[in-house]
Amino acid sequence: MKLIELQRITKHYHLGQTPMTALKDITLSFDKGEFTAVWGPSGSGKTTLLNLIGTIDEPSSGKVLINGEDVSKMSDNQKSEYRNKKIGFIFQNFNLIPVLNALENVMLPLQIRNEKTRPAKKKAMDRLSQVGLEHLALNRPDMMSGGQRQRVAIARALVTDPEVVIADEPTANLDLATSIAIMEIMQKLNQSEGATFLFSTHDQRLLDRMNRLVRLEDGCMADMACN
Amino acid sequence: MNIITHWIKLAFRNILKSRRRTFVTLMAVGFGFASIALFQGYIHSIYEGLRASAIHGSGIGHLTLYARGWEAHGKSDPEAYMITGPDMEKIMALARENPHVVLASPRLSISGLVSNGKTSTIFIATGVVPEHEKKVKGDFYHYQTVIGSPLNSGDEAAVEMAEGLAGQLELSPGQDGVVMGATLSGQMNAMDIHINGTYNTGIADTNDKFIKVPFRFAQAFYDTPKADSIVLLLDHWQNTDLVKTELSGLFAANHIDVEFKTWKELSLFYKNVRNMFDMIFLFIFVIVFIIVIMSTTNTMGMAVIERTREIGTLRALGLKRRSISFLFAAEGGLLGLGGCLFGLCLHTLVWAVIRYARPSYTPPGNSSPVPLLVDFLPQSLAVLIIFMTGLALFSAILPARRAACQNVVQSLTHV
Repeated sequence: MKLIELQRITKHYHLGQTPMTALKDITLSFDKGEFTAVWGPSGSGKTTLLNLIGTIDEPSSGKVLINGEDVSKMSDNQKSEYRNKKIGFIFQNFNLIPVLNALENVMLPLQIRNEKTRPAKKKAMDRLSQVGLEHLALNRPDMMSGGQRQRVAIARALVTDPEVVIADEPTANLDLATSIAIMEIMQKLNQSEGATFLFSTHDQRLLDRMNRLVRLEDGCMADMACN
Repeated sequence: MNIITHWIKLAFRNILKSRRRTFVTLMAVGFGFASIALFQGYIHSIYEGLRASAIHGSGIGHLTLYARGWEAHGKSDPEAYMITGPDMEKIMALARENPHVVLASPRLSISGLVSNGKTSTIFIATGVVPEHEKKVKGDFYHYQTVIGSPLNSGDEAAVEMAEGLAGQLELSPGQDGVVMGATLSGQMNAMDIHINGTYNTGIADTNDKFIKVPFRFAQAFYDTPKADSIVLLLDHWQNTDLVKTELSGLFAANHIDVEFKTWKELSLFYKNVRNMFDMIFLFIFVIVFIIVIMSTTNTMGMAVIERTREIGTLRALGLKRRSISFLFAAEGGLLGLGGCLFGLCLHTLVWAVIRYARPSYTPPGNSSPVPLLVDFLPQSLAVLIIFMTGLALFSAILPARRAACQNVVQSLTHV
């Protein structure tokens, strides 16, 4: 069984009064442990695709199956629990909680699932060590550089041992050297943890590090005919 | 518990983050709290004062007993609806058996003309038992000072005259006058009085009419062995209704047909003032209620808009809608609690200043100034803190629900 299966996914939305189609009849699957980039120009539907896999958006038609389970049949609470347990998110703008320090930000997904403070703190500290930030554990996001913030976000995404890590343009706000460093950390974690990493990016310089590339253009798979 | 503590901690930090907005909300809630608490303390002291003034100051006691029909027909045919001598003794003896009854004292009100020998004017007098007066007056015995000497049972012609009336007649303690009027049978009667002392009734409308005479003098003036009422003084005003019920049963069993009036029923002034202050309190309360709701809703509404992306992030990390609602409601509740604590400090400060400065004022209708007092009411303050914190929490629910129902993707892309 595939870890993630997208079956004939179409996604429409409205930009003001104008109807738009973000994804057109996409059928795609991902295996466990993949390190895959969904790439393409701006507006090609990369983020929409990842949002659907991340269960924070719903398709207009088609099915998203994760571990064979149809996501559309889940209630909002079930989706929330599912995201907390199985999915880790890394955002382009890091999206750390400004009033929490690095350690507390990493602990957040564990506290959402009501894990006790002491083990949660230990797990979070271990993840911060993995991304080389244990010395900044008590720093708040505004006292850290962009690269450091993104590493905190990676630690937060991995702290729950998720099956899938979804990273939406994780290096878009970083310089090249930091971007490469961040990608190396994720690559290492992918190999050591076995978690599936799905990226969206339009930065071609990072693509040669990927195991698999999925190219989108105007909401369609680039290597497939699109209606 | 762990997660609730965590979200409250997060809510607290978020409050501290927006210092200026938090400060404005705390001020609004705090000043609202202080104004309600101070006004509540003020009217409580007024109610206490009016209650004591009615029960002790004007001497109506906690319960007054009349022969049945007195209220309806007593004016037109007083003798028929007065309490006879034997009944009076029986009623007082039965009443004294009740453990809450401290004193039972007969009364007889008289009226007529009072003269200094040259000029005369109308008077209203209450015949009281002189040795009961100190007990009936309680603290007012010392507060309503008598210039000269008080009533004494040894001299039945010795009276206390209200200062205004004494002034009109140019009578002072030690001087004599004459009271004139009709007895119950319609005969004209005139009796000498000796002004033992003068006192201030405290109310302009009564200060130029009132005289206090010994009960025996009043009986002699009306030429009757009867009383028009019997005043009961209780150990505590809160026992009024209980004693009324108990004595009603007791008197009915002993075939004594009397009607009761509580101090509250007899003191029209207390009722009117209380109604007026209750209305003002409600008015102030509604204003503060609206201010608290509006300021908390506005603060939390702004917080939701500012933190839209944060809400999206929390939802993406798996936080459920109800937890988002709880987070923002907790912020509202904490704002309310903080505002109440600030208001409590402000209230205590003003209360202390008032206690220290002891300001006074003369209310309309009063003939002398009264001190401005604000009571410190711990129980009411605790209830107010709980209520206003709850109100702030409730005010935050609407923005909190809006936050919780936001689309996750739209929240994450919010700029």
